[in-house]
Amino acid sequence: MKKISLLVFLIFSLAACATNPDGSKLSADDEESGVEYYNRAMFNFNYQFNKKVMKPVAEGYKSVTNQFFRDRVSAFFNNLEEPAYFVNNLFQGEIKNSGVSVGRFLINTTLGLAGTFDVAAGWGLEKKKNSFDQTMAKYCVPDGPFFILPIIGPATPRYVIGWSADAYASPLFWALIDVEDDGVDAAVVGATGLKYINIYAENMGLLESLEEGSVDFYATMKSAFLQNRQKFTSLCAENNADEDALSYDFDFGYDDAFDEEME
Amino acid sequence: MRKLLTFMAAVFLLSTGLAQAEVNAQKAEDFIKKVTTQGIEEIINSDVSVEEKDARFAKLFNEYLDLDFIGRFVLGRYWRTSTPKQRTEFIDVYREMNIKTWSKRFDEFKGKTFVFKGTTPSNSAGQIFVNTEVPMEQGAPAKVVWRVKEDDGKFKIVDIIIENVSLAITARNEYAAFIKKSPDGVDGLIANLREKSK
Repeated sequence: MKKISLLVFLIFSLAACATNPDGSKLSADDEESGVEYYNRAMFNFNYQFNKKVMKPVAEGYKSVTNQFFRDRVSAFFNNLEEPAYFVNNLFQGEIKNSGVSVGRFLINTTLGLAGTFDVAAGWGLEKKKNSFDQTMAKYCVPDGPFFILPIIGPATPRYVIGWSADAYASPLFWALIDVEDDGVDAAVVGATGLKYINIYAENMGLLESLEEGSVDFYATMKSAFLQNRQKFTSLCAENNADEDALSYDFDFGYDDAFDEEME
Repeated sequence: MRKLLTFMAAVFLLSTGLAQAEVNAQKAEDFIKKVTTQGIEEIINSDVSVEEKDARFAKLFNEYLDLDFIGRFVLGRYWRTSTPKQRTEFIDVYREMNIKTWSKRFDEFKGKTFVFKGTTPSNSAGQIFVNTEVPMEQGAPAKVVWRVKEDDGKFKIVDIIIENVSLAITARNEYAAFIKKSPDGVDGLIANLREKSK
């Protein structure tokens, strides 16, 4: 536990010294500051790590598993996120959705064979995905500046806090702290490893084709990551009242003022 | 009486004029339905050779995307400082690179369908968003939004937004970052894209 706090502290002190208050905007405004130097270096490190470690591991994993198995693995780990969906749906006043999350977790953990099959969806209980990141967005917590985390990749402070908070709601985390058994701890660590290898294996192709067409992969990933995060911006009532709720409805004409605003 | 008639005629003309400025949502959606059906049936799921698939895709891409419009946006402020030759070259390699990289992704779309979820108006004149979802094996469906531009009743795709990520904005940010670092500026970008579309 101490280690996690230390890590979070390090991340934020790192982010703090490189902070640019407008960092979450869709512009390239960290280009001039030192933060881009760090970001690009860390991005390259992660890139090499993925290429030399994750890719061979994921390829090996793919060669010994089939799509059916990998789907079961995804479903298993997705089911473990239901408690986090429940809590965050509750935080956001989505009472009905939080009920759905509880129902799904109970049904899928039992009848869905430990979550490996999503039987609840077949009964009309569609997943109500939610996160602490989204909860914070709803209460208008700003996203903060973009930065690259070691191994994990693109992040913002709100993203990291949300992700850490949701981890507390995971049964994997409960097992880690509640059961005084090294065997269980090892199993949790192993499971977490499997989770990420599975995710990487399933997305490897997409990442490679993205890279193939890109002339500056860091800039591509940064742009895509930040745009994707804008989907939560309209959750905050202030932003919503502000103006256009669609972050991608930029002015697609060609006036100069727009160009200056974008760059 | 004459005055009233003239007034009514003016109102009528004005209102039809306004109606024309607004994009016909149904027609825009039908257009995307046509494009996606054609793409799935005649390319992705069809039993023709890879070469034939690539050729069909290139035709579809050129016919339904307004590459001149997109390319100009994507190059951003560097468009203004580019020579006419650079502009043409850029649009050409941008087109080639896109056709090349998308062609490799056909298999990822095998068995996929598009579920139409209506349209959303755009702040840009003559444009509209057609909302679709692609159901996934695992997890929530992927949201794919098509930005469509209407010119004299003719529809063209000007942007595709996947999970809130606009391909036009992404390319624009990417190229701006590249040109800023490249000693050869726009020419460096053109050379790099040409290399990628080989």
